[in-house]
Amino acid sequence: MSAPFLLPRVLDLGAAGPLWSALAAQRGHGLTLDASEVERLGGLCLQVLLAARTAWAGDGFQIINPSPAFCAGAELMGAANLCGAKEAP
Amino acid sequence: MDPLESIKVTFFQECDELLADLEAGLLALESGQGDSDTINAVFRAVHSVKGGAGAFGFEPMVKFAHVFETALDAMRSGSLAAETDTLKTMLRASDVLADHVQAAKGQGAVDEARTLTMAEELAALTAPPETALGSVAPMGAAADEPPTDEWGFRPLKMAIDGPAEDGDGWTLIMRPKAEMYAKGDDAAILLRELGRLGPCEASFEDSALPEFDFLNPEASYLVWRVKIPGDVAEAAIRDVFDFVGDECPIDLTRGEAAALAPGPVAPVVDIDALLQAAKAETAASAPKPLAAAAPAPSGEDPAAKDSAKAPGPGAAATIRVDLDRVDRLIDLVGELVINQAMLQQRVGESDLARSSTVAIGLDELEQLTREIQDSVMAIRAQPVKSVFQRMPRLVREIAGSTGKQVRLVTEGENTEVDKTVIERLSDPITHMLRNAIDHGLETPEERMAAGKPAEGVVRLAALHRSGRIVLEVSDDGKGINRKRVREIAVNKGLIGADAQLSDDEIDNLIFLPGFSTATVVSNISGRGVGMDVVKRSIQALGGRISISSQPGRGSTFTLSLPLTLAVLDGMVVTAAGQTLVAPLTAIIETLQPKPGEVRPLGPRGAVLAVRGAHVPLIDIGVALGWRDIPIDPTAGVTLLVESEVGGRAALVVDAIQGQRQVVIKSLESNFQRVEAIAAATILGDGRVALILDVDAVIDARFLERIEPVSLAKAS
Repeated sequence: MSAPFLLPRVLDLGAAGPLWSALAAQRGHGLTLDASEVERLGGLCLQVLLAARTAWAGDGFQIINPSPAFCAGAELMGAANLCGAKEAP
Repeated sequence: MDPLESIKVTFFQECDELLADLEAGLLALESGQGDSDTINAVFRAVHSVKGGAGAFGFEPMVKFAHVFETALDAMRSGSLAAETDTLKTMLRASDVLADHVQAAKGQGAVDEARTLTMAEELAALTAPPETALGSVAPMGAAADEPPTDEWGFRPLKMAIDGPAEDGDGWTLIMRPKAEMYAKGDDAAILLRELGRLGPCEASFEDSALPEFDFLNPEASYLVWRVKIPGDVAEAAIRDVFDFVGDECPIDLTRGEAAALAPGPVAPVVDIDALLQAAKAETAASAPKPLAAAAPAPSGEDPAAKDSAKAPGPGAAATIRVDLDRVDRLIDLVGELVINQAMLQQRVGESDLARSSTVAIGLDELEQLTREIQDSVMAIRAQPVKSVFQRMPRLVREIAGSTGKQVRLVTEGENTEVDKTVIERLSDPITHMLRNAIDHGLETPEERMAAGKPAEGVVRLAALHRSGRIVLEVSDDGKGINRKRVREIAVNKGLIGADAQLSDDEIDNLIFLPGFSTATVVSNISGRGVGMDVVKRSIQALGGRISISSQPGRGSTFTLSLPLTLAVLDGMVVTAAGQTLVAPLTAIIETLQPKPGEVRPLGPRGAVLAVRGAHVPLIDIGVALGWRDIPIDPTAGVTLLVESEVGGRAALVVDAIQGQRQVVIKSLESNFQRVEAIAAATILGDGRVALILDVDAVIDARFLERIEPVSLAKAS
């Protein structure tokens, strides 16, 4: 498993494209996303994360250290289980 | 015009209005007059600017508006208190946003460092994020529910079960489009908004979500279904989607089953049969319950519903009209007035009886023409508010850079004036305000020492006075330093060292070209624009500026302008064989002097005794350089006129032709500026007549400044 990928602070419209490209570059390895710094989560990035979760199902996908804001955003959009893993591996 | 370009123009117009609302709202909050509606309005303003900016790809503006909006959102949710300091920051942020709008218009550039600092300040307001985002707890209800499967997809079992569960609640299906995201809006924001209405429960449907490798990160795939408590008003829910409109179609239904039949439900349809069908369809598509609710055509329905929604009762019915069209109309009405005057003249010449039907019909036509003209002018009239609203920012900035404490008080913002005048008010007012703060007001220390409150007051007032608009800019500062003004004028050779000047005359020296009293050329007033330029630009508008000052108590600049630059009620007179128009507003009375009332004064002058007072007699023909020897005042007619500043004079003319409304045609744009002449007009017989600038004539008489040669050439 590669080093955790640190999610940017703001995951909104402008972040969706870069996030997708950054994650796409990680194909083939397990994916660990560090959400400790996230302050905002928007719908587009949620889509990227959801698609990534499905795509990485075989290689391993986890989100670690979700910030309260990340969890609040995920819950808001009905994706509370994205911030399921509370403790770092 | 390119259609996109014209939409852009509309957007900028809206931006100006929104920015004004934003500032007004923030100022109201700052003064403690605002409430939650004000906060909402302020938020909406920024939100709308952001939305439009996103549509036109003004990225920096979207980014900044976004940060601003986030802070306002925190204020709206109550996690950020509307304190004075916070509001001051937001006011400055609104200035930065205004800069962005200007830059987007292609006027001026954005100070990126300032934007960045401002954005950081705004972000700091809402930090720590826990506080800011924690407040969105109402939606937190969803957190209590255990995730139903490891993919976070919660099957919408209620859809299958029918309306049994929470049958009274609302079910909302929202299908954000990529365009909505592109404008900087977000499903998360909408959901948070909904959460504010009551404990909501959101779940999403991701059947449309492609595989990761085929995902377009900026396309919209997710559809949300939100359960909203039944006691929330429908209007409140729809309001949330007001801003996104067609970009996020919604289906809003009571209960559960109806949500599954999103197509138009005609009342004639047998409801039972429909329910059966809906249930059957639902059962068939059970694994993906929402898919049934997601077909595209249904998306058009709520949008249509939204647009069909009648405007609220408070919204005034207004339309936006291209200014060119109004101007064209005004021009045409001007032609109509001239034409009507010509017709009247022809009829008058044709020896028809006053009581003939033609003459009576013509009188009625005149009435109608005048009414049309008034109505058309009213279309273009605007309250000076639009100009005044820009001033608080200016005052803040000048106060900030001079270290002075200033409170701006505005009065009479609803005073209406023609658009042509409004557009040209901004610069002179700006300059006079700069001047008042930079030169007029003292520093807080000086003020305290002088026993005044540390905070200076600058008053900006507008009022109608005798058919003109009067603007006053006054401060409670130190007043004009007459000794210094005099010294400078002498040093610069503007006046002789031994000149005897009254206080008023000294005050007026600051309007002389090449005069500047600031010892240090500050970047506030010292922008190469002196009061002389202000005076010239005001005069070009047919206006006048005057100053009054009291040492230690402040100065007042008074600016008077015509309400419109299009028409004028005037008295048509003849002087030295030329036809002239004297503005009716300046004329007090007309009289024929008796020999005993005229007394010579000095080598050439004369005064007229009018009810115990003596006023100077001015022969218009001489004043304008058409003749050298004044006519005998008792042989002509005199017009007793009063200038804006209150000075009176008796103007001698050969004869009065009559009173008429004339259409003003600018001399500056068609010829050049002529001293003592305000403008020109076209008379009923098609000839051009000059419109007299009464004040200039009176001033010239006192200052003996008129050069008859140039005037004779001009005419």
